[in-house]
Amino acid sequence: MTAVRERSTLSLHKLGVFCGLAAAVWLGSAEAPTKLVNQGFSPFLISMGMVMGAFVARWTLPTLLKGTGFLFHDLYEKPHLIVWALLGGMLWAVANTLTIFAVRDVGLAIAFPLWNTNSLVGLFWGWLLFKELRGAGAKNWAKVLGGAAGIVGGAAILAVATAQHSATPEKAMFGIIAALGAGVLLGTMYIPYRKAYISGMNPLSFVTIFTFGELGTVFTLGLIFYGSAGNLVAELHRARPMLFWPFLGGFCWVIGDLFQNFAAKYIGIGRGIPLSNTNQLWGLAWGALVFSELSGLSLNAKLLILAGSAIMIAGAVAISMASPKESELVNWKLAMNRECDRYKLNHAAVATVVGGDDPHSNDPHPRRWWEIVVMCLAVSVFVWLAIGTRSQSIPMNMTWMFVLIVGTIIPLGVCGTMLWRRTRFS
Amino acid sequence: MNRSTIVAILTDAHLWVPVAVLIFGTTLLMTLR
Repeated sequence: MTAVRERSTLSLHKLGVFCGLAAAVWLGSAEAPTKLVNQGFSPFLISMGMVMGAFVARWTLPTLLKGTGFLFHDLYEKPHLIVWALLGGMLWAVANTLTIFAVRDVGLAIAFPLWNTNSLVGLFWGWLLFKELRGAGAKNWAKVLGGAAGIVGGAAILAVATAQHSATPEKAMFGIIAALGAGVLLGTMYIPYRKAYISGMNPLSFVTIFTFGELGTVFTLGLIFYGSAGNLVAELHRARPMLFWPFLGGFCWVIGDLFQNFAAKYIGIGRGIPLSNTNQLWGLAWGALVFSELSGLSLNAKLLILAGSAIMIAGAVAISMASPKESELVNWKLAMNRECDRYKLNHAAVATVVGGDDPHSNDPHPRRWWEIVVMCLAVSVFVWLAIGTRSQSIPMNMTWMFVLIVGTIIPLGVCGTMLWRRTRFS
Repeated sequence: MNRSTIVAILTDAHLWVPVAVLIFGTTLLMTLR
């Protein structure tokens, strides 16, 4: 039986919706390891630890799934997209640092819904630059825009109900500006994503370059904030006993981000990003069920959480039902043709890849010796960090932790299998 | 990359929108820190 005969016929819209939801599960669960970090370290340092973990994951997962031969071939065919991949990583790094400032100044309650507006920014860029939702009809517009607004609104309610209010009101204006700025940057980050995918690039190739922009910018910001390389290294050394946890969070984050990238590829950023933004529900589940963070909340706050969650879920359902019609798909094709004409790409080949059927996906990609080295290095980094990790005395509900870990692994298995069977990870 | 690809990149609005937003975000970050 050949690999080609085994291809699933699942619609790309359904596949993209599942990817968006799986992204939400993993992006939300990525917060869990960072909760194991005791107080005493700056959020910037924790974020830097996550980016370093993400760097390791962004090289190992694509190498494991496709092999470096496939990745290099993909990048060689579309070298212009390296610019956008680096740019995307830089946008993410600056945005993430702004979110840290926003939380510091106004608290999560105000900051989170403000930067969660990134899905609306992404929706706007998708419409303006990539012809998403053009010709979609009033019904689909209402589902997507209403769904995105519902997810932002639900996020606002959840944040208000769960987070503590800021003790520094004099900085409120700065915090609000930082959160809104982060929303604009995160929403704009999806321009490189979408551009890469309507040009036929594989998400796994894209993220291997994206991570250089991400890591380079975070280290540059670290040098600026800590004054010198010596100070930065000293801080990292001091944080050594806890670095395993943000590394692990970064690893989980990359799995979520990969699903998010596949969602952006198959259903566009207007639909994919709001779906992955429901990650707050999963972060909340970890906080409430495993770390008992909501135990002191009033009945009103708990009702607000239920209402916010229901609104978010309704928003996600609305978007998942907004399958693009032929009149919209024509516009998606026009956006793809623009890229092909501008960068002299083969229209037919790109259309095949955009349709989830990369002609190179069935080619044999012999494994190289350095791929084993990459794997060994990645495993060694995690083992080395785990050995030096100090145990954290944080009360946890082990039963719920087990349930949520299983609930996180199931979407990985299900969605990963769907992606493999339908697209061979193309 | 050949010259025509470089020109295509530099004249692409898809490049300058994120670049402008990145400059805006970096300026904001340096102002707020």
